[in-house]
Amino acid sequence: MIQIDSTDIKKQKKLALTWAITFLILFPVLITLGLLMRLRQGEVTEAAPSEFFSYMTLHGLGMAGVLFSFAFAALWYLNSTRYVKLNVKFGWFLYIIIAIGVVGLLIGTLIGKFGPGWYMLYPLPFKGTFWPLWATKLSVISLIILGVGWLVGILHILYALAKEYGGITNLLGWQYLKKDNSNIREIPSMVLITTISLIPGVFALIIGAAMLIMYLLQSFEPSLAFDPLMMKNMVMFFGHTLVNITMYCAVGWVYALLPEFTHREWKVNKAVVYSWNATFFFILFAYLHHLYMDFVQPTSLQYLGQIISYSSAIPATGITMFGVIAQVYHAKMKWSIIPLMFLFGMAGWAIGGFAAVVDSTIALNSSLHNTLWVPAHFHTYMLMGVVLFILGFLYYLFSGNNKEEKDSFGNAGFWIFVLGSYGFLLMFYLGGLNSVPRRYSNYSGIEIDHVRETGVHLAQCAALFVGVLLIGLILMYLSLICRLVQQKATNKKND
Amino acid sequence: MSNFTILLSLQKIAGLLSLAGALIVVAVVVFLLISATKEEDKTTAKEKVYKLRGRYLWGIIVMAIVLLFISFKSLPYSHSKEKAAEEVTVVGYQWLWKMDKGVYNAKLEDFGGKNEIELPVNKSIKFIVTSTDVNHNFAIYNSAGVLVTQTQAMPQHKNILQYTFKEKGEYQILCLEYCGTAHDFMVGIIHIN
Repeated sequence: MIQIDSTDIKKQKKLALTWAITFLILFPVLITLGLLMRLRQGEVTEAAPSEFFSYMTLHGLGMAGVLFSFAFAALWYLNSTRYVKLNVKFGWFLYIIIAIGVVGLLIGTLIGKFGPGWYMLYPLPFKGTFWPLWATKLSVISLIILGVGWLVGILHILYALAKEYGGITNLLGWQYLKKDNSNIREIPSMVLITTISLIPGVFALIIGAAMLIMYLLQSFEPSLAFDPLMMKNMVMFFGHTLVNITMYCAVGWVYALLPEFTHREWKVNKAVVYSWNATFFFILFAYLHHLYMDFVQPTSLQYLGQIISYSSAIPATGITMFGVIAQVYHAKMKWSIIPLMFLFGMAGWAIGGFAAVVDSTIALNSSLHNTLWVPAHFHTYMLMGVVLFILGFLYYLFSGNNKEEKDSFGNAGFWIFVLGSYGFLLMFYLGGLNSVPRRYSNYSGIEIDHVRETGVHLAQCAALFVGVLLIGLILMYLSLICRLVQQKATNKKND
Repeated sequence: MSNFTILLSLQKIAGLLSLAGALIVVAVVVFLLISATKEEDKTTAKEKVYKLRGRYLWGIIVMAIVLLFISFKSLPYSHSKEKAAEEVTVVGYQWLWKMDKGVYNAKLEDFGGKNEIELPVNKSIKFIVTSTDVNHNFAIYNSAGVLVTQTQAMPQHKNILQYTFKEKGEYQILCLEYCGTAHDFMVGIIHIN
């Protein structure tokens, strides 16, 4: 077992706190963009379509990027302070690289009005645009910078772990599958999940970078043209995989931290290895369900998309969620805010995941694809899954010995946040069930009264619920600040 | 499944399934919130959970196979449908739809269709859908405002959507793939007589 120096831990914590504060600043800003979009759809405010769509692009790219960046940073921190030595200077370098990418993207979208949506379906960024070509070039270059930053960061973690644990097959847990596994190199569950999540990330980022370079080439040479079906496969593989592994990275730290509250070990065994290796395979092919409505895609791939999407629910629920149940059931534990967030995060993942599996049924997708059902399910597992896992981790990071203490302020914020979030999400689900299209800057062009009026009313209600969740978030922020101040004071006293 | 959808729209099936799933999750969370405060030997507690997990895994695998089998019978892909009584070419432009009867193979820039078309009831219609510029989505809504079917309109490719309109009336077409500034005003009408 590796010993990490306490000075290194302090340095890594400083880096993690910088990431945490960056997240806490950017997250409500990006929520506000979403709120502005719902207000516009609800005809409460006015905004030109160009403004709406550039907000929509920044909200989508920003949320996907910020959540993945923070999930990556949290894994970096936990791995580097427990299981492996990671170069903290390189960590700061990555932070700066990613910050440069974010600044470029902010300029591209807010000043340049770059607005093709977060997956910028080819060839949209080059045809009939309301934004200048420089905004496309800057945004694409910024995304490449972000991708390169994430890629080298992932490779650094994987290399260090492989070196520490005796190779990549050990990281994948294959030593547990041997007949005689009495004398094997054991790995912590978080190391296994880090590996399973980050290797598909390498593939996704390489494909994503190739695709973005093709975009960049076309922005300099307009006569170039690529096959839109191939480009759609590439962007969906890149985007879906990145979002998917954001969730799995977050699940990784739940495996590591929840046992500290239940006082039960959560170790790697054969079932966990089989489950996560199967998940590795599912992560790589699940994206196919995004192309069901592209009937020219080979039908065998459409079948595969549904089979993989259904299959991915088996290890997620049967091993990970049952693992949480085994941790918590009759554990005589205190429901302090951290395990509460992890439990509700699992619930959000399950609820959103179930709605996603429903949408991944080709026969149902014909009636749900690109309606508000789509943001309904992915917002559920991002907002009520990943974000709760992140907030749980932030509470862990910002706390000293008071991790299990009662926190009335934080708890009140948590319940208000959950209530507001589910109210906000319900409006998306109802919109999907009423066939309201997604990605409309306003509904006035729809000549079907029922769809138009439903869309407007639901957007108004959703905006109200966003207000509620923001109140909850503010209370949690105050509680987090109190914990951080308390921790600093304790550290000063000890020093 | 098709008989079932006469009673329930696909949207309602999706809603009911998801509601059932969410209620199960809520029940499990409430049970865990209450049960976690009690104490039991961790080995006994884990044994109980893992016994239940074994049953759950068999259950979910069987259910997934059955649902795959049932749902694969209702795919929207044209090769599984009967011979079409009418063929219609549909072209998406930023930001309008053009439709015309027959198969059109010449230059799309010269395509002369309109954003309204009349088609017969209870006949299988084959829509050949493409785009001149960016990706669009050809989505058909019935007069009650229910999305009944859709396919992407992708440049350089033709998606074949076969559909039988069971009721007379006006069907609206919306674009369900974000395609630029006026995406939300890209509409058309199909009159079913």
